[in-house]
Amino acid sequence: MKKSLPRLDSKFIVIAISVLLLLYFIVMPLLVLIYDSLFINGVFDISNYKDVYGKKVNWKALTNTIQLSLIVMVASVIVTFPLAWLVGRTDLPGKKTFRTVLVASYMIPPYVGAIAWVQLLNPSVGYLNEFLKFIFGLQKAPFDIYTMGGLAWVLTLFYSPFAFITISRAMEKMDPTLEEAARISGSSPLKTLWDVTLPLMMPSIVAGGLLVFIAAASCFGIPAIVGMPGNIEVMTTRIVTFLYMGDDKGIRDATALAVSMMVVANGLLMFMSWMLSHKDYTTISGKSTRPNMVELGKWKWPAFAVVAGYAIIAVILPLSSIVVTSFLVSMSKGLALDNFGIDAWIPVVTSSQYMESVWRSIGYGIVAACIGTVLALFVAYLSVKTNITGRSIPDLLVVLGGATPSIVIALALIVTFSGNYGLNLYSTMWILIVSYLVKYMTMSVRTIAASLSQVHISLEEAALSSGASWIRTCKDIIMPLVAPSIVAGWFLIFMPSFYELTMSNLLYGSDTKSLGVLLYELQTYADTQNASVLSVIILLIVLIGNIILNKVTKGKVSI
Amino acid sequence: MAELKLQHIYKRYGNVTAVGDFNIEVADGEFISFLGPSGCGKTTTLRMIAGFEKPSEGVIMIGDQEISNAEKGYFLAPEKRGIGMVFQSYAVWPHMNVIDNVGYPLKIQNVPKEERLKQVMEMLELVHLKEYAERLPSQLSGGQQQRVALARALVAKPSLLLLDEPLSNLDAKLRESMRFEISAIQKEMGITVIYVTHDQSEAMTMSDRIVVMSMGKVQQIGKPYDIYTKPANQMVADFIGLVNFIPATAKGDRIFMQGDEAISFPNPKKLAGEAVLAVRPEQITLSKTGGMVEGVMNHRFYMGDSVDYRVKVKDHIVRVIQKGAGYNTYQDGETVYLDFDNVMSFAKDE
Ligand SMILES: Nc1ncnc2c1ncn2[C@@H]1O[C@H](COP(=O)(O)OP(=O)(O)OP(=O)(O)O)[C@@H](O)[C@H]1O
Ligand SMILES: [Mg+2]
Repeated sequence: MKKSLPRLDSKFIVIAISVLLLLYFIVMPLLVLIYDSLFINGVFDISNYKDVYGKKVNWKALTNTIQLSLIVMVASVIVTFPLAWLVGRTDLPGKKTFRTVLVASYMIPPYVGAIAWVQLLNPSVGYLNEFLKFIFGLQKAPFDIYTMGGLAWVLTLFYSPFAFITISRAMEKMDPTLEEAARISGSSPLKTLWDVTLPLMMPSIVAGGLLVFIAAASCFGIPAIVGMPGNIEVMTTRIVTFLYMGDDKGIRDATALAVSMMVVANGLLMFMSWMLSHKDYTTISGKSTRPNMVELGKWKWPAFAVVAGYAIIAVILPLSSIVVTSFLVSMSKGLALDNFGIDAWIPVVTSSQYMESVWRSIGYGIVAACIGTVLALFVAYLSVKTNITGRSIPDLLVVLGGATPSIVIALALIVTFSGNYGLNLYSTMWILIVSYLVKYMTMSVRTIAASLSQVHISLEEAALSSGASWIRTCKDIIMPLVAPSIVAGWFLIFMPSFYELTMSNLLYGSDTKSLGVLLYELQTYADTQNASVLSVIILLIVLIGNIILNKVTKGKVSI
Repeated sequence: MAELKLQHIYKRYGNVTAVGDFNIEVADGEFISFLGPSGCGKTTTLRMIAGFEKPSEGVIMIGDQEISNAEKGYFLAPEKRGIGMVFQSYAVWPHMNVIDNVGYPLKIQNVPKEERLKQVMEMLELVHLKEYAERLPSQLSGGQQQRVALARALVAKPSLLLLDEPLSNLDAKLRESMRFEISAIQKEMGITVIYVTHDQSEAMTMSDRIVVMSMGKVQQIGKPYDIYTKPANQMVADFIGLVNFIPATAKGDRIFMQGDEAISFPNPKKLAGEAVLAVRPEQITLSKTGGMVEGVMNHRFYMGDSVDYRVKVKDHIVRVIQKGAGYNTYQDGETVYLDFDNVMSFAKDE
């Protein structure tokens, strides 16, 4: 009993430090951003908002963003619900493979996807356009990627996995006897889908849809690569344009736009979690029997063809395009057998400038992942394993960071850590690492918290009562048990940090140019081949990361 | 109309035989229970009748209509079988209120709204849920949800009702009263019922006939009284009620207790060689003065309305249950005498 005081102390200090760090690096920048948007030289003044929303370009960007995000949201749900049902609830052949392929675009950096679709569908030399012209003898390219439609297309393909994952998880959780009860009541499989499955899935569908909406609205890479050449501006690209102006006015206009985005995104997410906590039917269920798969009968192979077709278009086609382009000897000669070689690879892998960026990004990813995992462990421990009042506040702060659009985080860090508030991180690697941590720690906390909550408190108490300190208990008892989730949590920070573009693009300095930024520059300078080679390198690293992740967590967690 | 026939029904999962050679003819209006330990194939059989599983072999008929014929590869879809079913997990739809849940089967049949409401209310009256008609399932207790499920299964007046352990999630008191409600409703509607349970008292009190199953095989089909007093084999005797097994040897028309050849019993089944004698604890009379078998009092457990004794007879411990407060009548170590009122005999390892 005597030893309980110092033990409590070490716990308290660790937790206090974590909370302070989170307040300083997540909450303060966002508050500073809001303050900056509302006060000019210390005087309350909404002229920033008036200026910004008084201009037609900005209105256009706003309506474009809303329009696009709505289209992408609706399209994603319409495409995803049947896919999730087919893969989760029927005897569709090859279900497991499809599941993996359908979530694969989740782990491909969005801008790589954009580069791929530009290669496939640009109006002058897009592979797919050329192919269709050849097949149907067309004079003109049938598709133009540099349009609202093209933008919506790429956004949908890359963000629908958010909806797919949300909806198919809910479908797996649903008690299958609810559907069987409808069948035995006389309802056909299709009518059951409509009367029971769909309404029960509605909260998850809405949640998945909102996730897609927010992701599409916050995305910078895809609109920058696909929209800009066609002069289509969205909120994120407007913010970046303002920032490129470099003057105070530009920054202030950017803050006004960013704060509007933040309010909408966080508001939607709050609505979503409220809705899920109040209307989540899927968790209500008694002891359920084995899921009974709907037999597709004569529809089995047609359904297979449709799903396979979608998988090919959504994932395999763009990936192949990138890989093939990287192995072309000369872009102008097209897809001829004698035009394949590693000619494009040699200058890239021997270029010290390029390779420096690759190693730099890997390094930043590692640093961010190590710091983030330690913090995430404390935050998760605090929220699931203690009963200190306010234990879930750090968790909430981390969620707030993750829910905030990247572009908003980047801007908040710029206005806060340029020296006006003590710390000056501008143009250092640390501002990049802080931004990665703010954005990506949340997934890591979730994963670790989930596994911590399965470690029973008695294991811990047994260690404490045998005289181990709290830190020692963490090291000896908790760590080994949650080790797989810690590795998973590490990768969940490392991977998106390593290929991050949106924030890096605003925060990098002359010595801290990251891989994502380099790739973005190459693409905008129309150096497609080097961009493809670097994209393939990124994809390889992501693939290796996922394989390790899969091994460590036995398939339970992947990106 | 609703005779149900299962002929040579098998269900295999890979090389696991979940159900093997199930045969039964259920008469119209009969209440049948499937009783057996966990994993014996009760649910699987019920789901084959409902149409959620396809038998690997055999034919299922309702009346003279085949609803499932594995040889012909013919399986009528569940929604076309006209069966009512109550699931163990209730399976009440959380997004519909009580009226909509119960009215759903009628809605599928395009019964007009007014008529539907009338029938639903009748059904709710029957299960005592009238005042809960407008509620959502999340505002109901487990027992109330179970009654919604029952009303929904009955509303379309199916001639066959399947219930899979419908009471196992309820507390003991509620279970008891629901038992009588289900029986009463069944009598009133004259419906054929297949009732899956692993609770023998449920099966005994409610059923016309019980099907005792073990490891995918039907062990015995019979009336509760016959199952209890004339179990077909050692497994059934063991599963239904309490029983003492005493090793014995059968010779001619007598069966001799092992360890004391002086004690023997008739051999109506004409067994030969190694056998087992079975006596239920409450079918033994205990006395101080004399009886068939002599033993020594080993232990006594006071149970309130009865006493549970352990008596050592030769090398065997025999359990004896006597009604009333006889706890102090006997002392441990005292010599006592047992009279067996009903001795059953089985071949060994039957
Ligand atoms: N889809 C399946 N694949 C493999 N084996 C199965 C499958 N379904 C059932 N079984 C096996 O069939 C046997 C019978 O299962 P069933 O669910 O019918 O048992 P039960 O009598 O209802 O048991 P309980 O009282 O526990 O509900 C079990 O051994 C089970 O493991
Ligand atoms: Mg069962």
